[in-house]
Amino acid sequence: MQERVAAGGPALRRADPRDLARRYGILIAFAVLCVVLALVNDNFLSTRNILNVLRQTAINGILAIGMTFVILARGIDLSVGSVVALAGIVAASLATTSSTAMVAGGPYPAALAILVGLAVGAACGAVNGAIVARFNVPSFVVTLAMLSAARGLALLYAEGRPVPALTEGFRAMGTGSVLGVPMPVVIFAGVFLVAWWVLNQSRFGRQVYAVGGNPHAATVSGISVPFVRLSVFVISGALAGLAGMMLAARTGSALTQAGIAYELDAIAAVVIGGTSLAGGVGRVTGTLIGALLIGVMNNGLDLMGVESYYQQVIKGVLIVAAVMLDQSRSRRD
Amino acid sequence: MTRLLSLSSALAMAAGMAAAQDAEPLRIGAAVYGLNAEFMQIWSAALEQHPSVQDGSVEVTVFDGRYDALVQQDQFETMITEGYDAIIFVPIDIEAGAAAVQAAADAGIPVIGSNTRVNSDLLTAYVGSNDVESGRMEAEYVLGQIGCEEGGNVVILEGPIGQSAQIQRLEGNQEALAACPNVTVLEQQTANWSRAEAQTLMENWLTTHGDTIDGVIGQNDEMALGAIEAIKGAGLNVSDFAIAGIDGITDALNAVKAGEMQSILQDANAQAQGALDLAIFHASGMPEGWEPQSEIWAQYPDMPWNDGADKEYNVPWTPVTAENVDALLATRQ
Repeated sequence: MQERVAAGGPALRRADPRDLARRYGILIAFAVLCVVLALVNDNFLSTRNILNVLRQTAINGILAIGMTFVILARGIDLSVGSVVALAGIVAASLATTSSTAMVAGGPYPAALAILVGLAVGAACGAVNGAIVARFNVPSFVVTLAMLSAARGLALLYAEGRPVPALTEGFRAMGTGSVLGVPMPVVIFAGVFLVAWWVLNQSRFGRQVYAVGGNPHAATVSGISVPFVRLSVFVISGALAGLAGMMLAARTGSALTQAGIAYELDAIAAVVIGGTSLAGGVGRVTGTLIGALLIGVMNNGLDLMGVESYYQQVIKGVLIVAAVMLDQSRSRRD
Repeated sequence: MTRLLSLSSALAMAAGMAAAQDAEPLRIGAAVYGLNAEFMQIWSAALEQHPSVQDGSVEVTVFDGRYDALVQQDQFETMITEGYDAIIFVPIDIEAGAAAVQAAADAGIPVIGSNTRVNSDLLTAYVGSNDVESGRMEAEYVLGQIGCEEGGNVVILEGPIGQSAQIQRLEGNQEALAACPNVTVLEQQTANWSRAEAQTLMENWLTTHGDTIDGVIGQNDEMALGAIEAIKGAGLNVSDFAIAGIDGITDALNAVKAGEMQSILQDANAQAQGALDLAIFHASGMPEGWEPQSEIWAQYPDMPWNDGADKEYNVPWTPVTAENVDALLATRQ
């Protein structure tokens, strides 16, 4: 498929309706879902509900964008849910007015807390990436270890307690708005645009595709494969840190149990969005649609008063459908 | 690895108890379902504050069950092998804990239940609070606020469907609602005790029902707090809603103080220390005229000691009010 040769830009090809269905299947499914929900529920297309869906999707969407980098480079990051908790707790401890949870001398300015949170996330990612790149250990195993370790560190750091009473400045990340658009949505949009640019327009983005498509060929063509591998995990970790802080800011308190199993929803969004777990093939726009699809589905079923257990079943069906689509696409290559 | 929290102090054995004068201190194990959340942390800390632990006549070890019935079963086997004198049990699962209780009973070790129930008649005694009662109390508060006669609309945020607290609190909710036929339940859905999930659910319900919602019955404080965040996020006035939760976690105490909600305190201290007194009593062979050491028996005249003969001790719930909230917050420092 042309994504494999993304370095050379999209190749020209004749439009084949079946191929179009495969290529845009997920977009079509998304559109159909939106139309159906708009027909059965008057509120679905209201501005407020659209902003709600985007706000509810932002955290998973940001995690999924980070995950897209890792999966494109032929890896997986199972640690993001735990990094969400660790970065959220550490940043919150700098931005709380609660005397029991506060770091001495606090509360510190929100900007400092956010920088520290991003650094904690990036550091977790760097540890993941360094071990994967240096020792060639499968990322599944390395990030599985980090999933356990980061959660343990979060519990140790907070002595198992929540960090409540966050400062208004810090909470703005979750509750503020810019020109009527909620801040989580603004951050989500910013992260998406930067990720899109990096993956589609920058040299580094082409290297990510090349490393995921064929690491040997990438090495031969002069790409530093270890550097690319390290970088994608740092990106995923930093974005998990960002998501963790947004979660704490949104709910008003950082919890050690935050983010449990979030890695699974992030992977689901990436896979539903058509990115291949084999690496090298996929688009961040697909991930965006995948995350929105999950968000719209949860929202729509809530609006219709459907029990949340159905949402889990439907998400399962979607994942399998997306992977089958991906398989049929791969066979045609 | 089993995480052990040794709560015993290094103090020399005091000569307070005749039975323990020349003997080793009594060894009592507490198997709790998990230590990640605030409630069980308060519960565990309360054991350490018990007079008999403070004076060194009793040694208590807390085993973190990590939310896994199998882990708890293994910990029981460890305690039986180690020859503990009594076990305090806070099971994760009402059914799966029965086998562990059976094994301890076979070994002749008394098991005292606390906080959560286990479906076993081999339990020596149980100290907990009646969840049906708290469900009724919180619903009555919400109904009282919106007016039972005038009527209105409420939503219910439920715990994980099938957990004993969810079943019993819902039963209490429904008992109270049955008395007010003019009040309609618009939505009723699980948010799995989670603030973030409740926030999303409430945002979606506000989209569907707008400000026709008059009251929110949260089956725990976390979910009630999530609803408050959603109401604020939607630009509505929290004081236009009657909101109630259960447990009395610190964030909820602060919200009560701010006049945003009502909470019903579940007294972790009394549940833990009451269970420990019973454990000591049974482990020392039920000496005649033995007096429990904890102050909680004086604090709750409605829960008489009855010479330790009862199978079940019901710790009363305490509504958190503007009058008692400062005193309660002071205990959380």
